[in-house]
Amino acid sequence: MFIARSEYDRGINTFSPEGRLFQVEYSLEAIKLGSTAIGVATGGGVVLGVEKRVTSSLLETSSVEKIVEIDRHIGCAMSGLQADARSMVEHARVESQNHAFHYNEPLRVESCTQAICDLALRFGEGADGEESIMSRPFGVALLIAGYDEDGPQLYHAEPSGTFYRYDAKAIGSGSEGAQAELQNEFHKSLTIEEAETLVLKTLKQVMEEKLDSKNVQLASVTKERGFRIYTDAEMAVVVERLPAN
Amino acid sequence: MPGFDFSNHTRNAALHARGVPLPKATSTGTTIVGCIFDGGVVIAADTRATSGPIVADKNCEKLHYIAPQIWCAGAGTAADTEFTTALISSQLELHSLSTGRKPRVVTCMTMLKQHLFRHQGHIGAYLVVAGVDPTGVGLFTVHAHGSTDKLPYVTMGSGSLAAMSVFETQWKATMTEQEAVTLASNAIQAGIFNDLGSGSNVDVAIITKDKTTLKRGYVKPNERSKKQKSYVFKRGTTAVLNEKIITKEEISKYVTVHELEGGETAVGEKMDIDA
Amino acid sequence: MSAMFSQNPLMNGPNYSFNQAPSTAAAGNKEHGFYPYTDNGGSTLAISGSDFTIVAGDTRSTSGYNINTRYSPKVFKIGGTTSSQDDATLVLSVVGFAADGEALKERLDAIVKMYRYQHGKPMSVKACAQRLSTILYGKRFFPYYVTAILGGLDEEGNGAVYSYDPVGSYEREQCRAAGAAASLIMPFLDNQVNYKNQYIPGSGVGHALVEREKIPLGRTEVEDVVKDAFDSAVERHIEVGDGLQMFVITKSGIEEKYLPLKRD
Repeated sequence: MFIARSEYDRGINTFSPEGRLFQVEYSLEAIKLGSTAIGVATGGGVVLGVEKRVTSSLLETSSVEKIVEIDRHIGCAMSGLQADARSMVEHARVESQNHAFHYNEPLRVESCTQAICDLALRFGEGADGEESIMSRPFGVALLIAGYDEDGPQLYHAEPSGTFYRYDAKAIGSGSEGAQAELQNEFHKSLTIEEAETLVLKTLKQVMEEKLDSKNVQLASVTKERGFRIYTDAEMAVVVERLPAN
Repeated sequence: MPGFDFSNHTRNAALHARGVPLPKATSTGTTIVGCIFDGGVVIAADTRATSGPIVADKNCEKLHYIAPQIWCAGAGTAADTEFTTALISSQLELHSLSTGRKPRVVTCMTMLKQHLFRHQGHIGAYLVVAGVDPTGVGLFTVHAHGSTDKLPYVTMGSGSLAAMSVFETQWKATMTEQEAVTLASNAIQAGIFNDLGSGSNVDVAIITKDKTTLKRGYVKPNERSKKQKSYVFKRGTTAVLNEKIITKEEISKYVTVHELEGGETAVGEKMDIDA
Repeated sequence: MSAMFSQNPLMNGPNYSFNQAPSTAAAGNKEHGFYPYTDNGGSTLAISGSDFTIVAGDTRSTSGYNINTRYSPKVFKIGGTTSSQDDATLVLSVVGFAADGEALKERLDAIVKMYRYQHGKPMSVKACAQRLSTILYGKRFFPYYVTAILGGLDEEGNGAVYSYDPVGSYEREQCRAAGAAASLIMPFLDNQVNYKNQYIPGSGVGHALVEREKIPLGRTEVEDVVKDAFDSAVERHIEVGDGLQMFVITKSGIEEKYLPLKRD
């Protein structure tokens, strides 16, 4: 069995006899190694939070970019290979700008997520004449937060190209514990402030380092202010709010 | 000084070369037909005059008088058909006076073709000449370059093909006056409905040995429908930005002013207007 | 005889916007021309009301002095989910070169249908208006030779009319006439829809006159204005006639009306 498995590991687009695509499955493993990222959707907006792994005291923490803007009304948090996320985000940005250019309206959050997932399966050898595609699946998962005519929404996009909408979702190394916490704590009537607290509280529980305002980052998407990454001062306020222990 | 005035020709050619467009002449973009019958000839025309794609006159006359028993239907440049027929009519009358005979259709046709040939097609008159003279019934076409045809049924103008299709399917060698008039009218209507250059009504002229009958508006298949709304404006709707009053004394320096008697109303030229 | 017919004065008489005869080259050289456009005449018109939009067009198709057909619609429903377009909410009118109009309509319709699949919602007039503009500008150097007007209801439910030039410049307007008789109809619309040049009698002198109050026209009034506009255009423009097709867009759907026009 082990031998058979390694054979089917070669071709990137080759199904195993059991009907599995090993490379895609392995890419999901890569995410489990990534830093934890959490998203919580409330009626008033979506909150994203990530842990920044400060591997060195010499590291400039502001250079760790794990939450990025896609458009004024959409942002995303990532976990996994950050470099892969760059090209996904770039694709999403182009798609969003194209939509605004063609239709004079913002791209819907679901359409944006779909556009990203369309890209996710463009790996392997590809058909004759098709222009260059990726050699392997992406090694990153995204939490896509946005606001459109249907209100605030949170989506989780995987390297397999599937996506689901969530009320609250955690990805990355601490996702199991974090998801269980979210399951317990989430309710439909959360406010933005409560969601901020919930995100940080959950992160704090699963982080190896001690949480402070430098090694975590928050962002939100609201109707009024669109996507916004929290400033250091704002971060400090939320961290201050956390129950001590 | 007979003939045309060419004094502006050099100037206009220079202007044209520099891109100034030529003035647009009114064209009687037209359907005209003629058809002989036992004892006479009938000619008919539509009544639309166009300037480009615009209808310049919805009810113009394209049947021109030449002599009491010779009439002409004209297509082409409106001014050319009007002036050419009037000129030939005048010359033919003088010819008739000096010879003491009734004018003949062939004579008329010959004068027209010579006049048009002399001007090498620059006079855009395309005519159907018809009449009855002491030699019998005559029916001809005359083209702007001077060529002529003598035929029992003829059509000309932009609607000539539509009209000819009617003649080619329904014409008979012997017809009564009424049959010929109906046929000619149907031919014109084919032009009115299928040629965009032709439209509105059918005019007919019937010429027999004894008399000529002009039936203006013989068929009116295109009456305007009633408007949905009234477009009467309240008096004072239009802004008057300035006003100048010219007194009778001032104007009488340039024109003669007649005072109307009580109850008398001035009658100007009547103009057709839409209801 | 046949040679003489080509000398018909009417072939070189009226001046059309498209020169169908190839222009001759300098002596000795043969110039090969490519004239892919023709003008098929006709006129279109759209007026928006407070809760409806009417888009209308005559149904005659011409080339030169010929009528190609007396029934060739210039007004189309766009983006319905079925081939009958029963549930469409947008209306496009195209006038100019009929083949380009047809191609443009097909393309926009396909795009609006795809949009519904991709984004899970019907396209708004505003979005469709912008998309139509990008389609037209996409052929900036080989344009769709048409004047397009897009009609529908905006997000607030108000009537919306967007008018275009052949290369995608567009504007939202109260009303617009396009095509062969545009110059005949548009001034009438200015006067009867926007009450241009109409003042309240006795309200002042000269420039001090008060303009007539702009009350939005009701549906039947607008229909009457459209009918009168086309009846009058038919009287004075040879390329307009045969039939009048009208689409009335309201929140309960699109109603189609057909009225005969003069056929001469």
